[in-house]
Amino acid sequence: MAGEVTEKRASAPHQWTQKHRQRWLLAILSASLVLAVLVAAGMGAVHVPVWLLARKLIGGGSLSADQGIILFTIRLPRIFASLLVGAALSVSGLLFQGLFRNPLADPYVIGSSGGAVLGASIGVFLLPPVSIAGFGTTALLAFVGALGSITLVYWLARVDGRTPVVALLLAGFAVSTMLSYSSYFLEVLDHDFGTGMRVLASWLHGTIAQPTWPQLAIVTLMLAIGFAGSVPLARNLNTLALGEEYAMHLGLSVQKTRIAVIVIGSILTAAAVALGGLISFVGLIVPHMLRMVLGPDHVRLLPATALLGALFLVVADTVARTAIAPAELPVGVLTALIGGPFFLYLLRKTKQGVMS
Amino acid sequence: MKPLIEFARVGFAYGDRNILTDLDASVFENQCIAVVGPNGAGKTTLLRLAAGTLAPACGEVYLKRRNLQSLKQREIARSVAFVPQNVEVPFSFTVEQFVEQGRTPFLRMFGGLSPADYEAMRRAMELTDTWSLRSRVFNQLSGGERQRVKIALGLAQQPQLLLLDEPMQHLDIGRQFEMIDLIDLLRREGIAIVASMHDLALIEGTFSSVWLMSPDKPIRQGSPQEILRPEILEIAFNCLPHHRPRLLERMRDRMEHAL
Repeated sequence: MAGEVTEKRASAPHQWTQKHRQRWLLAILSASLVLAVLVAAGMGAVHVPVWLLARKLIGGGSLSADQGIILFTIRLPRIFASLLVGAALSVSGLLFQGLFRNPLADPYVIGSSGGAVLGASIGVFLLPPVSIAGFGTTALLAFVGALGSITLVYWLARVDGRTPVVALLLAGFAVSTMLSYSSYFLEVLDHDFGTGMRVLASWLHGTIAQPTWPQLAIVTLMLAIGFAGSVPLARNLNTLALGEEYAMHLGLSVQKTRIAVIVIGSILTAAAVALGGLISFVGLIVPHMLRMVLGPDHVRLLPATALLGALFLVVADTVARTAIAPAELPVGVLTALIGGPFFLYLLRKTKQGVMS
Repeated sequence: MKPLIEFARVGFAYGDRNILTDLDASVFENQCIAVVGPNGAGKTTLLRLAAGTLAPACGEVYLKRRNLQSLKQREIARSVAFVPQNVEVPFSFTVEQFVEQGRTPFLRMFGGLSPADYEAMRRAMELTDTWSLRSRVFNQLSGGERQRVKIALGLAQQPQLLLLDEPMQHLDIGRQFEMIDLIDLLRREGIAIVASMHDLALIEGTFSSVWLMSPDKPIRQGSPQEILRPEILEIAFNCLPHHRPRLLERMRDRMEHAL
């Protein structure tokens, strides 16, 4: 009896530190995110000091009319857009890595990018620029294209009511490549002295759009639904990590979990693509970095992933729009330039490869 | 006494290769059954049928008199735990996080682990002597430790029946005897056990009965003394007579060595 008591006590510090580590990390990430948003809002052609902004936000202080317009119609919407895109891509990456039981999966792994490219090309080259709820043709068609290609992939990979993961990956790769290359034929229709090409190129490299507040509200709602749906899925992904058969024996409905992950991951990715084009590496490295700190438990990773993804892209987009001002870099170029080497470093550092 | 699992005229085939035909058998509480037979005789298939993750082609499998096919896998997993042969975990889960998965059939969609869940996990890890491993990474454990942790996951399901698929595989002789001790312990805890076994020398003394499966022949049930006899095994495993003495000699050697 006495032995049991000491053992119970011995277990306490272990659980305590792990929970504590997560809480501290979440607190630090949240604080950094707020700070990053404030600093980012101050940066640009018209400088607005951070302290002025902070005072304005808590109700005091005042900004000039120009500063107000710049902040509330230009900078803050853009910053919130990058925040949403970063969070959406990272969570989607985490979900797909869990689903495929492979830390190398990313949000585009089952073909959303190909559909998005084709959709965006149709928008750029074929259709007049109309807008629905503030979203332009390119963004809307990219969204539809991403969802459409995933549906196609899922339908192709489905055999006898089951969708084997390998079939999903292969179909995803094939469909995505086919669709993105077929957009080449549309470029022939570009009679606009290459303007369309430039628009498409910047979209392909990932550029955060300048959204309106209603647009942000719509995307925020989609992401809120996506995140809420991810919460129960995170625990299922832990079970699924043991393998399909094991998970089945434990009473997990593998097929339902798989569909839920694909639906939610696709909505998150498509929303991100609509706002920011194709941004690489974020969805791959953010969950990966956090796994090194917090371990592989998806329940613990989920909130931290959303926060770090948001923080990462807010910082990256601020650098992208200020580094070579008045010109602008596509943020995707930046994430690839930072993300690529960092990812390779991780690959080399973890001895058993990315698997551990 | 009512059976935990009952096979009633169960048949199963992969494609046109018959694995089981007209199987009638029951597992009762407190029974500890070794399923033996040559490779491909369908030992794992039998365990999966008992766990409800394979549906029989004909006949019925009952869990406490209820048809397994009418039950949700989640419900089955609260009474029957299946411990598979090989597990590949792509991420570095700790032993504790691994064992936690045994609570899956009890968890609600939203909401975390209750104190009762932690208690079940702790008890499972204590029984299998894996409590001290709980912060270690599952993938970095030795084969014997891994096997015990897998059984801890099964025990976290608080099952009445534990199905072990080749629990002795890849274990050195010392770890094999540890595993036998563990099976003995679980049996005394009142958990019924069905284990597929390759090493016939480890069966006697621990297992209460043996099911001998051989291709195209009906399953043979009996006590270890009745089944584990050279003339029966020779036919079932299709070993040529001149191999037999050497095999038996080796078995006897190992037994003596171990004692």
